[in-house]
Amino acid sequence: MRRYVIRRVAQAVGVLWAAYTVVFLVLDYLPGDPVAAMAGQGDQTAVDPAQLDRLRARYGFDKPVLVQYLDYLGRAVRGDFGDSVATGRPVTGMLAAAVPQTLQVTVAGMALAVLFGGGLAVLATYTRRRWLRSLLLSLPPLGVSVPVFWTGLLLVELFSFRLHVFPAFGDDGPRGLVLPAVALAILPGAMIAQVLAKSLLDTLDEPYAQTARAKGAGRARVHLRHALRNAALPALTVAGVLVGQLMANSVVIETVFSRNGVGRLTASAVTAQDIPVVQGVVVFAALVFVLVNLAVDLVYPLLDPRIAGAAAR
Amino acid sequence: MSRTLNKEPTAEPAVLRAADPPEAAPPGRAAPGLGRFLLRRPGLVLAALVAAAVVLAAFWPDLFTSRDPLTGVPAQRFSAPGGAHWFGTDELGRDVFARMVHGAALSMRATLIAVALAFVGGGLVGLVAGFVGGRVEGVLMRAVDVVLSIPALFLSLALVTALGYGTVKVAVAVGVASVATFARVMRAEVLKVRQAVYVEAARSCGARWYTVLARHVLPNAAGPVVVLATLDFGTAILAVSSLSFLGYGAPPPAPEWGTVIAGGRNYLANAWWLTVLPGAVIAATVLAANRIARALDGEWARRR
Amino acid sequence: MTPTPQRRPALAVPALTALALALGACGSGDGGAASGAPVAGGTLTFAVGSDAGCVDPQQVGSNDTIYSTRQLVDSLTDQDPATGKIVPWLATSFEVNKAATEFTFHLRPGVTFSDGSPLTAQVVKDNFDAVPKLGARAVLSTQYLAGYAGTDVVDEHTARVRFKQPNAQFLQASSTFSLGLVSSASTRRTPEQRCTQGVAGSGPFTLASYVPNQAITLAKRKGYGWGSSLWKKTGEAYLDRLVFKIVPESGVRTGSLQSGQVDAIGSVGRADEAALKGAGVRLLSRANPGLVFNVGLNNSRPLFRDPNVRRAILAAIDRRQIADTVFPTGTRPATSVLAHTTPGYADLGTLLAADRARAAALLDGAGWKPGPDGIRAKDGAKLSFAVSWAPVAATNQPALELVQQQLKAVGVQVELKQIQVAQLTRLQQSGDYDALFGNLTRADPDILRGTFSTKGANTYKLAPSALDGLLDRQAATLDADERAGYVKQAQETLVRDAYVAPVVELQTELGVAKKVHDLDFEASSRVQLHDTWIG
Repeated sequence: MRRYVIRRVAQAVGVLWAAYTVVFLVLDYLPGDPVAAMAGQGDQTAVDPAQLDRLRARYGFDKPVLVQYLDYLGRAVRGDFGDSVATGRPVTGMLAAAVPQTLQVTVAGMALAVLFGGGLAVLATYTRRRWLRSLLLSLPPLGVSVPVFWTGLLLVELFSFRLHVFPAFGDDGPRGLVLPAVALAILPGAMIAQVLAKSLLDTLDEPYAQTARAKGAGRARVHLRHALRNAALPALTVAGVLVGQLMANSVVIETVFSRNGVGRLTASAVTAQDIPVVQGVVVFAALVFVLVNLAVDLVYPLLDPRIAGAAAR
Repeated sequence: MSRTLNKEPTAEPAVLRAADPPEAAPPGRAAPGLGRFLLRRPGLVLAALVAAAVVLAAFWPDLFTSRDPLTGVPAQRFSAPGGAHWFGTDELGRDVFARMVHGAALSMRATLIAVALAFVGGGLVGLVAGFVGGRVEGVLMRAVDVVLSIPALFLSLALVTALGYGTVKVAVAVGVASVATFARVMRAEVLKVRQAVYVEAARSCGARWYTVLARHVLPNAAGPVVVLATLDFGTAILAVSSLSFLGYGAPPPAPEWGTVIAGGRNYLANAWWLTVLPGAVIAATVLAANRIARALDGEWARRR
Repeated sequence: MTPTPQRRPALAVPALTALALALGACGSGDGGAASGAPVAGGTLTFAVGSDAGCVDPQQVGSNDTIYSTRQLVDSLTDQDPATGKIVPWLATSFEVNKAATEFTFHLRPGVTFSDGSPLTAQVVKDNFDAVPKLGARAVLSTQYLAGYAGTDVVDEHTARVRFKQPNAQFLQASSTFSLGLVSSASTRRTPEQRCTQGVAGSGPFTLASYVPNQAITLAKRKGYGWGSSLWKKTGEAYLDRLVFKIVPESGVRTGSLQSGQVDAIGSVGRADEAALKGAGVRLLSRANPGLVFNVGLNNSRPLFRDPNVRRAILAAIDRRQIADTVFPTGTRPATSVLAHTTPGYADLGTLLAADRARAAALLDGAGWKPGPDGIRAKDGAKLSFAVSWAPVAATNQPALELVQQQLKAVGVQVELKQIQVAQLTRLQQSGDYDALFGNLTRADPDILRGTFSTKGANTYKLAPSALDGLLDRQAATLDADERAGYVKQAQETLVRDAYVAPVVELQTELGVAKKVHDLDFEASSRVQLHDTWIG
């Protein structure tokens, strides 16, 4: 087991390093001149050459690529992604300021997603009414199809402008959290519902569930105590995917609700072609994603004895 | 350890199958014809109709509207939806329905490019990895793992930063971000097929590697990847429209779907139709694409 | 003519500055006539569209940020919105020498900055000495102090500001936020520090917090007692807190004002007027003097070196349609490069009438022939250019889309290139653009020299010409009529040679909830919030 953990952690670190490299290659080395992009409009070159040289020197672009890369990597390991081109502030500081906002809304969104997605799956598999079941099961495909910016705007239109229940923007107070969290919860909620419903149906067919029922255990009891517990495990494996989706959608949702989180930081950095910030944000997203997957990989064997046995080999 | 293979579970066949409406006929009965199959699935028929309409709009927008998507009548700005303007008019008096119809070409082109890029790029990587094996496979699949560790939209955003704005660039950014998913599936299929009896047989008969590849491996392994491609359509439409909503698509006045909604946002408080109706079009298109993909993936296949 | 300078060289930033031109200022609001006695206390929430990334009033030029930063500082003088007269504020009196090269200010005793330090002549000197070193961002204040020779500390409360050449505009400049005073300690900080951490001013409010792209929060300055001689209330402000929320979407700003989440919003567009009025919101509007909104052509680009191409662009634009479709009610189409509220304005409306046939003829004459797609071409090159613009006001994009349509109708392709407001100055200085969309608010025709003289900023990269001489002469001429003559000639040259394509005048419109009283435009059309109260 310990070797398994060490291996997993090492893998995560390796993947993260490689991810940083990919981002470096994409942003600093792909086409075009990052300095020209910083100085002006990206694809044109009529910028003052002296200014370009100064920028090049400042960001180290005058050095060989490998030197640049190692230099950047060395600093990134220490959590230093340089300074934003647009604001002049350190990228790490900007990220640190934005993370709490994003954390609030994604955690709230995830909680809602688990609640509603899980509830939907349980209800859909429990009910004997065919129409209710098919109605419930038709919701998740809908949930994964609606654009998140659209649901966000619909919520604003309805609950802020028409009903005046929740504020349309801002990041102060729990009331401002409701609409963005709901908008964010739809996609992961639908995904949880899909996975859990399938897994529940499979589990209910398992011999032990049938045995339990045959022994006279109540339907609800079998459903919730036996089946749900076992069915929840496969759902856990998509946790990483869900977090990735949440982060991605937070870019859009924070723009829609004018929330000052990582997502909006990303969007404005892309617009301003603020390469150090984009770099920092993308690596941060990869970090979170890798950490969540690592956590799932480490926790899963503890919950599922079959895997634990395999992992201990 | 079942590590999540896909970043986009909407593109994962197994996940979607879970949500198959339970009214599907129990297996084992005599295989019904296509007509009967469809008759039992009005939703699928509707999805097919929506998809057909979008495709028609992309190629022959004049079938749907004769109005100019770019030039409006300023005096008629902010007309609510009605007989004259089904989706109302925008801040410059342009017909929103006409904009969506003409925008279909842009948005569908971007989606096609994205899916094709992912399909071809990912397919090739997966094919090479699975077929060649050994060290090449190790390197390629490590690379795939790495790319998968960056959430797709963030990778797309990094690419947009590097490439710049525009319909095609956004499409490329979305496509590249899903190459890795395709590579995984392709490799898995190639591995499966490679060990199949008939391939072994062909080999032992002295067939050249490229003959084996072209005759046996490719046709048999491609199926699931094609299915994945159809599943990827919905995801790609969403990703492309998100990026153009954020303002990275074609510059105004191009009526890319996401751009139309982003423009309507400025008038959200008093002209709901500028956001609500175009959004509904996107949602309907994605829903239709996903429904059809699901049918191709599972239901119809299981019928046979 | 009274030299009444007011500069707003922030391109594409809708600037407000209606100098005292009471006649030109049209208010559709009632100015917030008080209903009942003013009440102290409360918080005013004001939604603005953008964040300039800086909370130093001496450095920012973007109107959205000036709403807040204006409240942090006091100026040496104030300007009466009704008469345009310069009146005392921090200076109880002031003198100007005959040559307009020396300005003596007698400072009010007992004024302190929010860091506790007192206002002295040395502070004035420290401020003005530091301004020229503020760098690229401080476009406004550095231009006001152009030709600055130094400040003499005559005694503790008397400062004399000297210029190398006549600078009659400086007295009015001393009433602006750009030359609002900060403490000596603040002047010693770097421009970046001043931007991100703020400055210690002596204004009626102090900076409580600044979260970039989110909010600027101000708190009432306790013990404040040196307000402008124009203000109704003496002593501290009524409001306890001012919160300026940054809400980029105009639709969300409008909806939030309607639903009561915010109390006031900036830059209302025509689209939202009816709904806001219906929701019981007062609309305050004011016409801005200065350079009108124009498509500023980069005259160094080969395409725009041909005057007939430029003239064709001017002729193709239907200004009336743009003004009536996009901009607030009452907005005038441009009838010169200067707005009609600018001193020295000349009505050149006949030269700026939309005339598609003329545009087509000019382009035909210049050798640009219509291609198969309707876009003209010459020697295989398409007649196409990009307009860079920042989405600081919701009106910018629809206005430009109309320009795009109108130019397309004569075979000119326009690409709209959206940039961020923070990129604007850099782009302008680099000269790497085809055309820029924007305006500049200033109540003095000297704005022409600042913008177009090849010795000045030369924003639109003109080649040296007789225009330079005209612009210099108007700056050196003290006689109002004679100066107006030069200004008229300069406007005629600019319009006839079509260096820029004027579009519409800027009329800024604010939406203010009914419960907010006495929220008014000050002389330079920024809001003054000392007297504002909620009740």
